[in-house]
Amino acid sequence: MLETWPPQFAHWFKPRWPRTRTLTLGQRNIFILPSKTALALLGLIAVLFLLGINFQNALVYGVCFWLFALLIVNLLHTWRNLRGLSITAIHIQPCFAGEKAVLELELACPPKQQKFAIKLAWPEEDAVQVNLMTTQTVRVKLSHSTQQRGHFNPPRLHISTHYPTGLAVAWSYLALEITGLVYPAPAPKHQQPYPTNSLDSTHPSGQTLSGGSSDFGGIRSYQTGDSPKQIHWSHYAKTGKLNTKVFVDYASHDLWLDWANLANSGIEPRLSQLCRQVLDAHQAQQQYGLKLPGLVIPPSKGEAHQARCLQALALFGVEHAQG
Amino acid sequence: MLKDKRTSTQPFITYTGMIWLLAAQLIVMLPFTTSLPPWLLAVVVLAAGWRLRVLAGKASQPKTLLKAGLLLLGIAAVFLSGLRLPSLEAMSALLLLGFAFKAVEAVQQRDALVVILTGYFLVALHFLYTQSIIAGLYGTLALIVLTGALVGVQQTLEELTPAQQVQFNFWIAGQILLQCLPLMVIIFVLTPRFQPFWSLPLPTEQHTRGILDRMAPGDIEKLSQSADLAFRVSFKTERPPQTDLYWQGLVLQHFDGREWRQFATEQDPEQLKWTLKHEYSYQEHNLKTQGMAYEYEAIYEPSGQNWLFTLSPTTEVQGEALRAADYRVMAKQPLQSPLLIRAVSRPASIRDLELSPKLRALALQLPSQGDNRSRELAKNLYAAAGDELTYIQTILKRFKEQAFFYTLNPPLLGETDTIDGFLFDSQRGFCSHYAGSFVFLMRAVGIPARVVVGYQGGEWNKAGNYLAVHQFDAHAWAEVWLPNQGWLRVDPTSMVAPERTEQNLEAALKKEGRLLEQSVFSSRKFAWLNSIRQQLDRMQYGWQRWILSYDSATQAQFLDKLLGGLSVLKLAGWALALLVCLALSGLIWLGLTRQAHAEALEHRLYRRFTERLSKQGFERRLDQTPSEFGALAAQAWPAQAEKILAFTATYQTLCYECDEPQAKQRSSLLRELRRLLSQLP
Repeated sequence: MLETWPPQFAHWFKPRWPRTRTLTLGQRNIFILPSKTALALLGLIAVLFLLGINFQNALVYGVCFWLFALLIVNLLHTWRNLRGLSITAIHIQPCFAGEKAVLELELACPPKQQKFAIKLAWPEEDAVQVNLMTTQTVRVKLSHSTQQRGHFNPPRLHISTHYPTGLAVAWSYLALEITGLVYPAPAPKHQQPYPTNSLDSTHPSGQTLSGGSSDFGGIRSYQTGDSPKQIHWSHYAKTGKLNTKVFVDYASHDLWLDWANLANSGIEPRLSQLCRQVLDAHQAQQQYGLKLPGLVIPPSKGEAHQARCLQALALFGVEHAQG
Repeated sequence: MLKDKRTSTQPFITYTGMIWLLAAQLIVMLPFTTSLPPWLLAVVVLAAGWRLRVLAGKASQPKTLLKAGLLLLGIAAVFLSGLRLPSLEAMSALLLLGFAFKAVEAVQQRDALVVILTGYFLVALHFLYTQSIIAGLYGTLALIVLTGALVGVQQTLEELTPAQQVQFNFWIAGQILLQCLPLMVIIFVLTPRFQPFWSLPLPTEQHTRGILDRMAPGDIEKLSQSADLAFRVSFKTERPPQTDLYWQGLVLQHFDGREWRQFATEQDPEQLKWTLKHEYSYQEHNLKTQGMAYEYEAIYEPSGQNWLFTLSPTTEVQGEALRAADYRVMAKQPLQSPLLIRAVSRPASIRDLELSPKLRALALQLPSQGDNRSRELAKNLYAAAGDELTYIQTILKRFKEQAFFYTLNPPLLGETDTIDGFLFDSQRGFCSHYAGSFVFLMRAVGIPARVVVGYQGGEWNKAGNYLAVHQFDAHAWAEVWLPNQGWLRVDPTSMVAPERTEQNLEAALKKEGRLLEQSVFSSRKFAWLNSIRQQLDRMQYGWQRWILSYDSATQAQFLDKLLGGLSVLKLAGWALALLVCLALSGLIWLGLTRQAHAEALEHRLYRRFTERLSKQGFERRLDQTPSEFGALAAQAWPAQAEKILAFTATYQTLCYECDEPQAKQRSSLLRELRRLLSQLP
């Protein structure tokens, strides 16, 4: 998916379309050709030329030559409409495998210029048309379907324009240096009973979350700010020293989403299952941790935590070299 | 500022695109209404109106059957409107009908392109009907609108209101076409001109006008009512005096008692061409050249006839023309568009020292009977005069001294004995009467003579340095053949009204005062109006001379002037120089020189700012706005927080709040940016 240039021409293509975050279009990397409409117009020009000859009519010649000049001059206009445009990949919205990954791009044109009808497309996937008329930059989103979890490297993007007359088409390619994440496709909901085995007896000590209120956790010396209710008054009466009683909550109440505890086998089904569990737990606003072979994410909650878990699932077993 | 507009794979014409298309169609079709059925205009309005209603959701697209029915109805109407079938008009009308109907079918962009390309063709087609400056300007406007439509139907700019879009596209189209102009001129000048490959039906709309191939008494005064232009002449050498400007058109030899014709039998232009080529062809050895040679270029207005008018005799003719034994010059094709010819004339040359029997017979022909009083008079006067020259002078003297009057409205002469009627009864007539009766009197005594029709004189345009000859300059005179002298020009009218040849028709008819009241001369009454008229005429002449008549001869002449001797090498050199100039100006225009300033100063300063911070380990992510990044960096680097925040704020003011005109504020803000940047470690 990465470099799909024809191998025999790769040495020509590669320096012109480097894999970068930002590409500015210039003489080196814009193609331009007359369009089909131009061919039709060329036919008309030939007919007009014959008409001019047969009727010896100077003004018919005039129209004929003017249209021919239009064909030529228009090439420059179409080319200029693409020239100087820089395209920056902003980021790719992570998605689940089988869904569409959305790439956000920023198009910027040089000052005091306007660009019209710029078409960005992944052939067969998605296309957007934008104008840069009142602003110098514009952001566009393009989606691309995904099949596999892991890294998503967007294929070459086509950028083209027919502006202004449609008599020529100028185009270029964008090989963008940006990688998106594709999470595993979540398994269908409640395929497996919700894991209740997570009140974990194998971790008696668990993890303590200080500042709790349920269980007595010990005594420490008083620090300013401690609540008077928690001062160990009886100890103070005996020794004259101010001590504070400390209470803790045990983390072992939390949910552990564990690779080892899954009923189904195979890497991908398990990852899908875990993905579903992460989503459900997040939706239920529960604290949860994730255990994968070789990776433990301690329990927590919130968007960032979910993203971290999903990323771990997405990249499980995937080489990091590409990232 | 997020855009997420998806375009469908099948591009359709939008509402504004449809309005563009309708405007373009109307503009293209409008001038055809003068020569073709005007109801075609209604068809396009109805068709486009229907389509617009469909686009607005108020009507449904017509069914195929209905469309076919309407089309058949239209074709039937075209044929019923009286156009001949194999003619340019019928072809144009059918094309226009299809063009008009296409509006209702114009759904996809492809349809719009068909309409626009057809429109381009129709603009050119209209130039077959008229090639005036006005038509040229109108055609240019139509081209701009069509090109605007080409721009407009393919993309919509949602940022603009429909009215602004129209204005914008119009501007773009005008700009592109203007940039095309130099290239177009170069192609126009350099493209070789070919002879027609095959003959095509010509517009039949132009009726024949000007001088006809026959002359009955009173025919020419009809022309004197017309101020239309006949032709314009510019002299390369000096100009002959006004009294010698006899522009010979055709020679009338056959008299049937009332009408003068070229030959005994009527001949259509093709037959006549054949006759002149084979039976009465031009013989150079019959001409003994002498005297002043006048070289000139004449451009003839389209008359629908073959006649050309030159000073007789011509020794050289260049252009689509042929010459005949009577020293006339005739166009090869009837004039449907202006024709340019170049000629050299030597009026003092002796024509036909020997008169061939065939020509002599023609020049002596008279009807076997009729006009007996005139024949009697001729015999008596000739007997009294003794020789030909004295006889001629006697006749001319008679016109001068007797009560003959020059008038535009002579009394009617009846069907027979018209010469008698004029010479003895009415004695009032126009040039055709004088010329006709003079030739009759010559032939009656056996002197070969013939009537020549053409134009006499012309109006000198000082500003343009050319002579404009109008229809009211039409004139008829006589030629007599004398041994040892050949053909001599005799103008009996000048005996009666010398002002006619010395000045013009207006002066000759001053006494009558009739012409002045009519519009023909009205603009000539006031000097200032006259000079404006002459200036306009001059413009038209330039248009005809340099644009419409730009043929291979003009091309060679022009290039010769430009290059000083035509050679392939020089031509190649010029072409190369032109290309280099074009390429250079193209590069400059495309803004390659502007590359250095591609990034505005504030952005460059901001980039340096982020580079400084990244050295400290604060990398800006691409999706961070400057304010987000500034806040984070300030938090992470408290020592410089103040400067970082100030820099970010100033940068944002520059980018988003500072308008272009406030240059002063801008420069002070930029100074502030620089100062803050320099303070950062």
